[in-house]
Amino acid sequence: MRDRLLSVAIYGLTTLIGLVAFLYPFFIPVVRGGAAMQGAHAADAPYFLTLLVVICFVVLLLEVQGQAVNAKLVALLGILVSINSLLRFVEIAIPGPGGVSPIFFLIIVTGYVYGGRFGFLMGAMTLIVSALITGGLGPWLPYQMMTAGWVGLTAPLCQPLARWLRAENTGREVAVLVLFGVVWGFLYGAIMNVWFWPLVTGPADQYWEPGVSLGEILRRYYAFYVATSFVWDVFGAVGNALLIAVFGLPTLRALRRFQRRFAFDYRPYRPSAA
Amino acid sequence: MIRFEHVSFWYSGSERPALRDVSFFLPEGTFTLMTGPSGAGKSTLLRCLNGLVPHFSGGLVEGNISVNGLNPVIESPKVMSRHVGFVFQDPEAQFVMDRVEDEVAFALENAALPRQEMRVRVEEVLDLLDLEPLRDRRLETLSGGERQRVAIAAALALRPQILVLDEPTSQLDPKSAEDVLNALARLNSDLGLTVVVAEHRLERVVPFVDEMLYLDEGGEGLLAGSPRDVLSQIKLVPPLVALAQRLGWEPLPLTIKEGRRFSRTIQPNGEREAPAPPVAHADEPFIEARGVRVRYGENETLRGVDFEVFPGEVVALMGRNGAGKSTLLKTLVGLVRPQRGKIRVGTLDAAQHDVATLCRQVGYLPQDPNALLFAETVAEEWEITLRNHGLLSNGGPLPIQPETLLARFGLSDKAAAYPRDLSTGERQRVALGAVMITQARALLLDEPTRGLDALAKEALTDLLRSWRDEGIAIVLVTHDVELAAAVADRVVLMSQGDVIANGPPSAILGSSPLFAPQIAHLFPGSGWLTVADALRVLRPEIAK
Amino acid sequence: MNRKGAHLHPMAWVAWLVATLGLLVTTRNPLYLVLIFLCLAIVRAVIPTSAGEAWTLPLSPLLFGALIVPSTSLFNALSIHVGDTVLFRLPAWIPLLGGPVTLEAFVYGALNGLVLTGLFAAFTLVSVALPTRALVRLIPRAFHPVAVVVVVALSFVPSTLRQFQQVREAQAVRGHRVRGLRDWVPLFMPLLVGGLERALQLAEAMTARGFAGADEPIPASMRALVTASLALILGGWLLELGWGQEAGYLLMALGGVAIGYVLWRLGRQAPHTTYRHEPWHPRDWAMVAAAAVALLPLLLLPLAQRMSLYYYPYPALTMPAFDPALALTMLALLAPAILTPGSTSRPAPSVAPDTSYDSV
Repeated sequence: MRDRLLSVAIYGLTTLIGLVAFLYPFFIPVVRGGAAMQGAHAADAPYFLTLLVVICFVVLLLEVQGQAVNAKLVALLGILVSINSLLRFVEIAIPGPGGVSPIFFLIIVTGYVYGGRFGFLMGAMTLIVSALITGGLGPWLPYQMMTAGWVGLTAPLCQPLARWLRAENTGREVAVLVLFGVVWGFLYGAIMNVWFWPLVTGPADQYWEPGVSLGEILRRYYAFYVATSFVWDVFGAVGNALLIAVFGLPTLRALRRFQRRFAFDYRPYRPSAA
Repeated sequence: MIRFEHVSFWYSGSERPALRDVSFFLPEGTFTLMTGPSGAGKSTLLRCLNGLVPHFSGGLVEGNISVNGLNPVIESPKVMSRHVGFVFQDPEAQFVMDRVEDEVAFALENAALPRQEMRVRVEEVLDLLDLEPLRDRRLETLSGGERQRVAIAAALALRPQILVLDEPTSQLDPKSAEDVLNALARLNSDLGLTVVVAEHRLERVVPFVDEMLYLDEGGEGLLAGSPRDVLSQIKLVPPLVALAQRLGWEPLPLTIKEGRRFSRTIQPNGEREAPAPPVAHADEPFIEARGVRVRYGENETLRGVDFEVFPGEVVALMGRNGAGKSTLLKTLVGLVRPQRGKIRVGTLDAAQHDVATLCRQVGYLPQDPNALLFAETVAEEWEITLRNHGLLSNGGPLPIQPETLLARFGLSDKAAAYPRDLSTGERQRVALGAVMITQARALLLDEPTRGLDALAKEALTDLLRSWRDEGIAIVLVTHDVELAAAVADRVVLMSQGDVIANGPPSAILGSSPLFAPQIAHLFPGSGWLTVADALRVLRPEIAK
Repeated sequence: MNRKGAHLHPMAWVAWLVATLGLLVTTRNPLYLVLIFLCLAIVRAVIPTSAGEAWTLPLSPLLFGALIVPSTSLFNALSIHVGDTVLFRLPAWIPLLGGPVTLEAFVYGALNGLVLTGLFAAFTLVSVALPTRALVRLIPRAFHPVAVVVVVALSFVPSTLRQFQQVREAQAVRGHRVRGLRDWVPLFMPLLVGGLERALQLAEAMTARGFAGADEPIPASMRALVTASLALILGGWLLELGWGQEAGYLLMALGGVAIGYVLWRLGRQAPHTTYRHEPWHPRDWAMVAAAAVALLPLLLLPLAQRMSLYYYPYPALTMPAFDPALALTMLALLAPAILTPGSTSRPAPSVAPDTSYDSV
């Protein structure tokens, strides 16, 4: 009971901090009633934000890892992450339509079958390992790890729907996951954008000028989003959908087949009757 | 040292025990060979020694196990890791780190040893296994034999008194296997390490061992004792032992050296059979390669190779690692495109057609059949090949009924099985079906006996012979001299990208120090390669 | 003393990175930006490239800049219609974009692009300077199982690639051709299933060598402390964001320290040791000191004395201010060029195996 409460509190608080971090440009003008920030602090904001995201990520990682990480989980994660990072490699090597990333498919499906914790680790680790092998370390890494982790963490949310449809190992189950993939295709882009935005448009005071309303900020974000990201996100969502639609069913079957082997029941020792 | 008392084991959800009432005792400092057909529970038994069974596998253990005075069923694998070092079959799948030195230190880190102590122990095992020159190398740049030596070093880093190895050489070529086995023999004799090894290649290990365990199907009927005792009671034995048993040699010779004491008294030349007439070839070879050159960057892998195989002929392609055998095989089906030379497959010019087209005529079995298999059932697996070739959609008659093929492969009850759940031998036959279901007129096999036990090897040999009799042209890349001796009509020897010898097996294998089978070693100059060859002359009455 | 493959301590590089990033995200003064870029370029030219295990070279920062600077300039100019120097006007009826396009907005966008390029260049520099395994060793001890996951994933990359090659050949010989997305299933599935099988074998091998992962769940007290710290951080931040209370920072700092403490405690409990060790040399202290010199003016100087950092082109473009003293402290970012063992500014290193142990 206590463990569950702590878990809920930790997931809840990190999500809340994450939300605030992603949304603060929108509500600042509202709560401050138009009072401009000092230039100095405003400029620190993105830097500071990154720090917060790192803290949230570290805490989530600790919470996810804290629950019995055994050799099976470590080996399974290691090898699946290795495969998935190579898919990322494909993304970089073969320049397809921007925004399509083959990594989310496996993050979603493993998170869905093996649980949110596994999905979180799968998402976060894929991003860091592929960054290491492609030399793509950058200031955006904590955000990518956090967001990709969320993708995996939330994948089990599809389970009730699939159960309700009685859809195990059928096309309907895949359809549920396709929908989920489309949603995250857009969400991922939007989340990464909100972080990127202050950096591109400059220190926050530019849009925290006195008199700038929430509507105006939304309008500017909207402009930014349409200009930089919308098309990419469409490709991303379609890419996720296609990959899940094509690879979903055999992958689900394979993962389930091995689920039994990775879990086991160990009956206690019974001394010899002889 | 190691004591099993009435040990039985059930995997969870299984009614049939994997081990049934196993009892034996192995004293300290012995070198023990464990053998038996695959699926007999050898792996399970070995894993009981360090607690992987049942702590890792799950399941239920009955009876008493004592290893070094501890019961691994009660202790955890972590505790047992200090007493028992474990080496696995596949050198690729047991490494955690990417470099030799770090890999060796991994167990030490888990045991939380202080860094100074770790350094001492790492140096110690690197020296013990001659790995010092390789210490900084990345693991994927090592050969199979070197990797297994690293795995042994890593298992020994915690200074266990017992070393357990589960088929450590089954994925290795003979030279690498020899290196690994020699290292084991040295560790056993110099350090007094207790070694337990499961192995199919009896002929290579038997000379070193003091004790032998034979485990029969279903974990029943354990035979334990000296190698001589056990070998005289089991069916599938090395050629030397088989011949000695037929000829009634006593005491049973276990090494070629011991065997020569008996063979010297026999004069094979006196009553030598007339050499078999050369195989009558059809006029046209089915596959013909002329002046094939392949270059990867700086290295010339094939330097103008001429090669052909006729219908109804088995050609064994032999040679050291890196001699270009696998590359030659791949050029024949278009997986590797030669820079120069001409290749004809049936009526097709290989340069004009893609791999898929060529492979309708030629079945190609890659080294790792697992790379082929991904379907949910065996039947589906074969359908995929037919569909790939467009043989399923046109509604015409199938080249061969899958049921016929299943029966031929001894897989009749496995049509609906998940291919990946089958044994190594069965998986290989499923893969063979997947490449041969097009009624290909030729078959190329790359190291087909890797990882097979004696029974599966026999099944493969029979299959190859019956295909040959149907007029299929077969090329076999292999290190397995006994297999080549048993099935090949012709042997082609390669070295450094060139064909250096080409002729009947008795001429080429019989005289080669490296590639001679046991019987040829026993009767040099006789031209005999197999037990059957020798018996035909020495005991015509039992040969039939 | 110099050894092949020797490098500054990864933590020293982190200190340098923090200073560089701190300066970059703070300043928009083009003069200072140019200065920082100069430092980065010199460091890059001088330090030896580590025998990296990365499979591709990172994207060149120059290329990155060439892509990003024009796009940020254009975007800012089209979306922010502030500034006195109007270049031209877009008709007001165009949604989102209509209005005056000013030189100031253009310049400001370009400066933002430069900052992004700088961030990217700084990270690239660190990944070039340190071998991958040194980077992996930066993962805190409390995350040992996660670090092992990363190590396993990295070391399985070559064999996964080889596996893929084998699968491609094996499918080709049974008549498989890649025409569409669906035809990738036969290539992907054996790779995945083979991976799952190998994962089982690897897990056994790890267990046999005493790897137990994180057996013990994290104590509830530690998790409670983490929860409280998160609450502190969130509360403090809301306080600061909403009401401009400086006390908010204090609460957040407290929360951060508490989480750091939890990591440290859990790391100490971890039942394992590490074989490889990055020794900490005096040169690493020098690197930290240099990072402090570069960063501290930002944190300690009164606002009036660091005003030149916050260049702002609106409403009309002006010549940016330049404070020589401040610029001098930025030159501390050159530290790795001088301190890195074996950099071309020093005598050539002697060749010795790349192993580093401490001398406890």
